[in-house]
Parts: sequence; structure tokens; C-alpha cells
Amino acid sequence: MAATTNKSDAAGFARAVAVALEAESRHQRRQLVVAVVWAIPIVAILWFTGRQIGMNPIAIVSGLPYMWDFLTRMFPPEIEYVLLLVDATVETIKIAVWGTLIAILLSIPLTLLGARNTTPHIVVFHATRMFLNVLRSINELVFALIFVSAVGLGPFAGVLAIALHATGMLAKFCAEEAEGVDKGQIEALQATGASKMQVILFAVIPQVVPAFISYAIYRLDVSIRSATVLGLVGAGGLGFSLIQTMKLFKYHQTATCILVIFLLVLVSDWICAKLRERVI
Amino acid sequence: MNTLAPSPTMSSTAALSRTTLSIQGLSKLYAGGTQALDNVSIDVREGEFLVILGPSGAGKSTLMRCLNRLVEPSAGKVIHNGEEISGPNKNLREIRHRFGMVFQQFNLVKRLSVLTNVLTGRLAYRSAWRSLFYNFSQEDKRIAIECLARVNMDHKTFQRADTLSGGEQQRVAIARALAQKPRIILADEPVASLDPKIARQVLGYLKQVSQELGITVLCNLHQVDYAREFAERIVGMSRGAVVFQGSAAELTDNIIQRIYYRDASADADRGDNRGRDDE
Amino acid sequence: MTTGTATAGDGGEARTVDRVLAEIAARKRWRLPHLIALAFAIGFLAWAAEGVSLRPGEVVSALPVIGEYFARMWPPKWQFAANVWQPAIETIYIALWGSVLSAAIGLPLGILAANNVVRSVVVRNAARAVLNLLRSISELIWAIFFVSAVGLGPFPGALALGVNYGGILGRLYAEAMENVDPGPIEALRATGASRMQVILFAILPQALPQFVTYNLYWFEVGVRSATVLGMVGAGGIGFELVTSIRLFEWRETGLILLIILGMVTAIDMTSTYIRGRIY
Repeated sequence: MAATTNKSDAAGFARAVAVALEAESRHQRRQLVVAVVWAIPIVAILWFTGRQIGMNPIAIVSGLPYMWDFLTRMFPPEIEYVLLLVDATVETIKIAVWGTLIAILLSIPLTLLGARNTTPHIVVFHATRMFLNVLRSINELVFALIFVSAVGLGPFAGVLAIALHATGMLAKFCAEEAEGVDKGQIEALQATGASKMQVILFAVIPQVVPAFISYAIYRLDVSIRSATVLGLVGAGGLGFSLIQTMKLFKYHQTATCILVIFLLVLVSDWICAKLRERVI
Repeated sequence: MNTLAPSPTMSSTAALSRTTLSIQGLSKLYAGGTQALDNVSIDVREGEFLVILGPSGAGKSTLMRCLNRLVEPSAGKVIHNGEEISGPNKNLREIRHRFGMVFQQFNLVKRLSVLTNVLTGRLAYRSAWRSLFYNFSQEDKRIAIECLARVNMDHKTFQRADTLSGGEQQRVAIARALAQKPRIILADEPVASLDPKIARQVLGYLKQVSQELGITVLCNLHQVDYAREFAERIVGMSRGAVVFQGSAAELTDNIIQRIYYRDASADADRGDNRGRDDE
Repeated sequence: MTTGTATAGDGGEARTVDRVLAEIAARKRWRLPHLIALAFAIGFLAWAAEGVSLRPGEVVSALPVIGEYFARMWPPKWQFAANVWQPAIETIYIALWGSVLSAAIGLPLGILAANNVVRSVVVRNAARAVLNLLRSISELIWAIFFVSAVGLGPFPGALALGVNYGGILGRLYAEAMENVDPGPIEALRATGASRMQVILFAILPQALPQFVTYNLYWFEVGVRSATVLGMVGAGGIGFELVTSIRLFEWRETGLILLIILGMVTAIDMTSTYIRGRIY
């Protein structure tokens, strides 16, 4: 207040500045206290949980020779083994593509049922969201384990596992996207006398499609990454070769597997990023 | 036969023609306690270009949305050609398709083509299942192109709506409203987002289709000079109530004062209510 | 008048409509490249389906079997909770520490990889290469590696999450920094601030909310991942899960899945709440 009323005379101005400076230093002290008050429980939690799971910097250092040993046993990678990995690589891609495709097909109805503004009934909305949450919460490897028991070893279990998990992710993301569409475009369609379904078809869906495609491509990228490890539980793909070579102590071949996985993920990442740029 | 044949006699006889839309004692109280409309009564004549003038927050948008039932009025009646279209148990789709609507923000579906946007004006005439594959009849397409030609936008038929300028988008929006074959067009601040030159052009198209097709136009505006230039009749609104009805010539500075600023005595009267009607 | 003159009914307009209608028909026609692309896509998918034994008959016969397996999980074996609550909590600890480590690994690498922070292309590309390596190899493979180095238990699990998500977060951090509003950067440069000062006062403050959002999101993902690290001996509830499935103790599996579901939902809700408060 003083600053605004007495700005004209020099003494008043100086007083106002002094007051503001004082306020600022008080503010800083308060912030310091707040920071400390927050830091104490955070550090305590980290310290406690760290002890619980045996976080130990010394263990990393003492583990270094073992890591080094592991790496030297893998080096050099057995390049010729790449030829034997071609089939597994192709299978990995096939698993990811079909898993994602099934997820896309399942997501279209689930998106519409699981968005507040397109769902036929609020009960359907809640049921759909709950179902999607279940699919999202359970890792694809867990699904894969169960499916391997149910339908036997092989890529089929992997496809189903990827499909279910990706459906949960894709449909939930797109349902939220559908809820956030421009209301004006919906109002304009309602004003023409369009039915609820026509409003969804002509105002909601066109607005959600780009996000849907973009996220579906992203999901394909993630699915390829996931498909590289499904083999660890016997659901096909490169992961199977990886775990087999390790069990047989053929570490040079393991290294080749890891290299192929690395390249596959890198290439798919690059292609998917390019594709998404074109969509947006 | 050209279904959009002009009726040049309409505008010249507007002053004499019959009432098509009768708004009687319409009120809207929003759930938050905002009295957006307060006992509004207006008689709209067949084929006229009626401007509803008032500052933002005067209740103009709510009035329009109460007519085509995007908003449910709290009280009052709307009678269209002798038939009450307010009240429960009415076929909303049927009522809405009688009114074409044009919005301030154009509200085109941005990712669809100009043509598809105009075709959405035909949806009320089609079953939902047929629209499932975004398919329209040849007849609908013909109507849509004719409507585009009326606003001189047929050369952009296949462009995506979001590639157009604001003025072009609003012209497409007018074409969409026309494709409904409406008897009445509700234009809610159609030029508020456009610069003056383009604004005059868009209002010109609206007035032209009104005259050529004999469509009644209700147009919300907040700019006095546009109202003077285009209106055949003006309704002044302030704080949810009608404070003036008359021709452009009758719109004196004194009345403009009443619409936009309200006199001090009125403010004192309603002092306790102030601030509740800003939407 | 500035408006166009599309007078309805004259021959010019009829020609326009027919021309556009013809163009619509022409655009709709399937062309050879479309058909080839379609055939290629269908062929590829069919080939891929064969490769992963995805045949309609098998899918149909598999679905009831899968349903039956899930049915066996009900009712969950509640007594078993005594054995799994500790690994469940351990799972969250692993995710928590994985998240802390990933920030510690991702932040320096991300800063080095951002093109508006580091000028040297060599440094940036080197940082990016490291990030790619960490990112591309799944946390499970990292876990196998760390288990061999430091032994079984949750510690290698946390390391694996930290390294893998460090790679992912580092790239996201870099992108967040590259996408900040350049205005404040320019303003600070104009005051004569050094490079370091620009980073500290213009880039980091703008990117920080993004960083926090990403960290919280990847913590959520981390909890879901940590539930399977136990499969390779890297701690958490995954070990119990695998064991129960291998021993066909489906009701135990059911309980573990329920616990995972509860845990993940609780963390998601908390994290969504916090993320909502950041903005």
C-alpha cells in the first residue's frame, strides 16, 4: 500500500522498497522451511525403502567385476548366429503386428463405450473403464504366462497377451481423448437435428481419429519392444532364443540376440516416429 | 425443379407478412442461479432479417438455443407456424432440423472436407444406419453443392475445413445451415471472430440467402453499425430482457445507451442483482 | 454489395453442380494403386497370421479354454495373502527406487542430448546413442544382466528399471527442453546471460513440470513392470506369480492378480491426482 500511495516522495519510495525487500527475505525463509519439511519425509522414505530392497552402492561396485565378466563372455557376438535369428525376428514382428491389430479392432467399440459423451449408458461407461483398467494393470508377460498354460507354448499366446494389454492402453487413452473433443462441433451437429449416433459419427470420431492412429502406431512400437521378451515365458519371438542361449551358456549367441533386439527396436522406433509425424 | 428457387417477393413484403415464430414469455434460469432470459416475447415475421442486438452476456445466445432446444427454457412458449415447439414430448430432431444454425466459432468439423461438412446438414433427413459409412445419396450431394454455390464456395468442395480462412469457414457453415432446408436460420454472433471487411461479406451472404430463398434469419450481433447496415428490424436485449424493438431508423443513441450501459436509475434498482447475469 | 452472385436456377449453376458431382464420383472410384496396396496389406496380414498360428478356428476354440483358466482363479485363495503381501510391497519399493535412479540417469543424459542446451553435435549424438541403448533393451533383459552381477533380489530389479527408464526418460527430458517456449530464452540472452544461466533460468523452469509429469507416469509404468521382474529373480511379486502358475495353484494366481490390480489402481489414482495438481 505504502508503495502506491507515497511513490512521489523519495523517502516514501525508499521505505516501500525496504518493506518489499524485507517481505522477500521472509518469503525466502518460509520457502526454505517448506523445502526442509518436504525433504525430511522424502529422504526418510527413500532411506527406509532402499534398505528394504538392499540398495547398496557398494554392491554395484563389487558387482562390477561380475558385470565385466558377463560382458567379456558375451564378446565378441557370434555374427553368423544372426542367420538363425531371422525367423525369430520375423516372428517377433508378426506377434506385435497382430497383437496391435487385434487391439485396434477391440478398441474401436471399447473407446466409444468408455467415453462419457459417447457411451449409451453411465453403467456401461463405468463397466468398460473398469474392464480396461484390469487389462492395463496386468503386464503382457503375466497374460502370456497364463495363455501359455491355456493354449500351449508358441506365438499365439504372445499375440493374445499383447492384444489384451494394448487394448487396455489404447481404448483408455482414446476414450479420454473423445471426452476432450471440441464441444462446438458437437453442438453444431446437434443443431442440424442429427441423432446421437450421427453426432458421434460426424463430430466425435473425426476429431478422435488422428489421436487414435497416432497412439496406435506408438502402441505398435511398444508392442515390438514387448514382443522381444515374450519368449522368456515361452510365448514366441526373439526372447525365446535369448533365454535358450543363456541356458546353454552360449553367451556369444546371447550377445547376438541382444544386438538384434537393439537394432529391431531402434528401426521400429524410427519408422513409427516417421509414421506418426505424417499422421499429425 | 430447383428446390432452392428464389422468392424475390419475400423481402419486399417482409413488413406486411405474417408472424412465423412467436416467442412468448420465454425465461431461462440456469442451475447456477443465472437468469439468462427474463420473460422475453418477440414476434418474428416470415422472411425477415431480424438482428438481436446486445452486449455479450445479454442472453442472446441462450435465446437462440432455447428456440432449437439446445437449451431447455425454464418457462414460456415458442410457437412456430401455429404449432407449439416448446414443452415436453416434442421430437427434438424434428424441431432442430427446422432451424439452421450458424455459430461464432463456425464449428465446422475441422478434419472433414467442406462437402462432408455441408452434407452433415442433411443428417436429420437420413437414418443413422445409412450414415454409418459416411454415405450420402446423390440428391443430398446435389443439394450440398447448390448450397455451396450460393455462398461461392463450390471451388473448395474437396478441401479440408481446417485449411480455410475464417470467412470461408463461416460461408461453409452457412451452406451447412442451408442444406438443412430450414425455414429459419439462427446466426449466433456469426461475425464476432472475423475482421470488418470479411464480416460485412459474410453478413451480406446471410442477407442474400434470406432474400433469395425467403428464409427468416435471426442474427445475434453486438456491433451497432452492422445491425444498422443489415437489419430489417432490430430487437435490443440487455440483461436477459428485451428493451427495444423497432427499425434501424428508430435505434437512437439514447436507446443504444439503454442496451449497452443501462441508465443509472435502472442500475440502482437492480443493484442487488448485479454480477449474477454475466454468463 | 460485396457478396458473390450465384443466382440460382440459371444454366451456369446447374453446370457447376454437375461438374462437382462428376468430380465426386471420380474421386470415389478405386484406382489400381489402391487395390494393389490393399491386396498387399491383406497378403501380409494373412502371412503374419499364419506365422503366429492365428487361425479363426483355433481362436474360437481357444477362447473358452482361456475363459476356463480365468474361472479357475475364482475364488482367490485369501489365506495366501499372508505369503504375498511382503513381495507386493517390495514391488512398489523397486518401482520407487527404479524411478529415482531413472531420474538420476536420465537427467544428465537428457541435458546432454538437448539441442538447445548442448552445442556440440558429437556430445549430443553420443548422449543420444547411450539413451537409445538403455531404452531399446527391455528392463527384463537388463534385470537378467544385473542379477548375474549382483545376485538375486530386488536390488538388481531396481537397477534394471532405473537403467531402462533412465533411457526413456532421458529422451523425453531432452524433447521437453527442446520444445520450451524460445521467447524467454531470447529474452535472457538479450540481458547478457551466460549459457549456463539461460539453461537454469529459462529452459529448466519451463521444462520442469513436464519432467515431473513424465516421472510420475513412468513410475506408474514401473509398478506394472516390477510385477514381472520376479520372473528372472529380480524381486517383487513376480516370483510368487510365476510359481503359482507353474504349480497350477490358480486360486493363488487369482489372489496375486487381484493384489496387483489393487496396487496399480491405487498408484494410478494417486499419480493422476498429483499430475492434475501440477498444472
